[in-house]
Amino acid sequence: MGWFSWSSSNSNQSSDGGRIAPDRSSRQRCWEARDQFFTCLDNNDIIDSVKGDKEARKKCGKENTEFESNCATAWVKYFKEKRVMEYNRDKTIERIKKEDAATVQDLKSQGWASK
Amino acid sequence: MSLPLRSLTRTIARTSRTPSIRSQLPKTTPRITTTTVTTPLLTPCVATSPFSTTPARPKARTMGQIRARNSTGPFSWKAALLFVVTGAGMIVYFRVEKERLERKRVAEMSKGVGKPKVGGPFVLKDLSGNVCTEEELRGRYSFVYFGFTHCPDICPDELDKMAEIIDKVKEENKGENVFLPVFITCDPVRDTPEVLKNYLQEFHKDIIGLTGTYDQVKQVCKAYRVYFSTPRDVKPGEDYLVDHSIYFYLMDPDGDFVECIGRQDTPGSAADTIMEHINDWKRSGKPLKKD
Repeated sequence: MGWFSWSSSNSNQSSDGGRIAPDRSSRQRCWEARDQFFTCLDNNDIIDSVKGDKEARKKCGKENTEFESNCATAWVKYFKEKRVMEYNRDKTIERIKKEDAATVQDLKSQGWASK
Repeated sequence: MSLPLRSLTRTIARTSRTPSIRSQLPKTTPRITTTTVTTPLLTPCVATSPFSTTPARPKARTMGQIRARNSTGPFSWKAALLFVVTGAGMIVYFRVEKERLERKRVAEMSKGVGKPKVGGPFVLKDLSGNVCTEEELRGRYSFVYFGFTHCPDICPDELDKMAEIIDKVKEENKGENVFLPVFITCDPVRDTPEVLKNYLQEFHKDIIGLTGTYDQVKQVCKAYRVYFSTPRDVKPGEDYLVDHSIYFYLMDPDGDFVECIGRQDTPGSAADTIMEHINDWKRSGKPLKKD
């Protein structure tokens, strides 16, 4: 499978019973695979690859497999959810900014002057 | 108040020989006009007083003389320069002093009255397996971060930042060992000393890694007010993430909490904040371990 499939083998077990975490290079590989997968999602207008799993697999099957084999399962889930969260956050910020601008415009038309 | 002033005005109006001035002074002169006009005219009266040390100025005879005197008044370029220099000096001094007091206030505020609100006693294990308590951190400024080695993206970023901060602070302290960077794991089941050691080496060799039993870690997280969500019973091989605080805690040599460094800080701004506190501590002459 991947570079660190923690659930199957003992190779990532340290001698004192802990579990070895991905090192700098495997983190890097995971992030790169993630970015490629997300670029593909962007190109296909998919935001939520958890709910839209079927479509994501159909359109970005190769990238998805690559992503899942380079990152731990918990990380894959985390990054997919984070993408949705960040999208919603950015949209909310944009909406609030627009509302603010509209309020200011409205107040100005009523003769209010900002200092 | 208004009575003596009006009588004064009347006296001046009488002494004045220039009819044009008298005409400018109606009986109900507003105060401000009175004072501006009276200043040069009052001098002769003051000069006759036995208490005055001011040399008598010759009485102004004509409007031209009055105007010439009024044009400079008590001001000269020397006075102006003195005023500006003193003013600038005071502004600089007050700014510096205000900043120092603000930092002191932040540091003092966190001390509270009795017990510190953040931080406190703990018993953990260092990476060689030795017991480490809060006593080991005393005497130096410590910089505490909570995390776990299986952290996807934030901890590695923050630890890279921590490494930069360590180097900057070290450089500014000219190699004095006054600053202890500490990493406490929130995931003791997976992060044993060996795992932690290999993980931290990738970031900075100076970082002190601490781990312990589940209950010990839970206790230290509680002391530092860190949200702790590590599952207690994890099946071997099960994969999970841990929610945790993403702040660095700066603790003073007494073991009291000083300030938080968060995601918004750059390595530069964080190192500056830390150095300000360290320098304040040094200036106050309180003991600080340097070996």
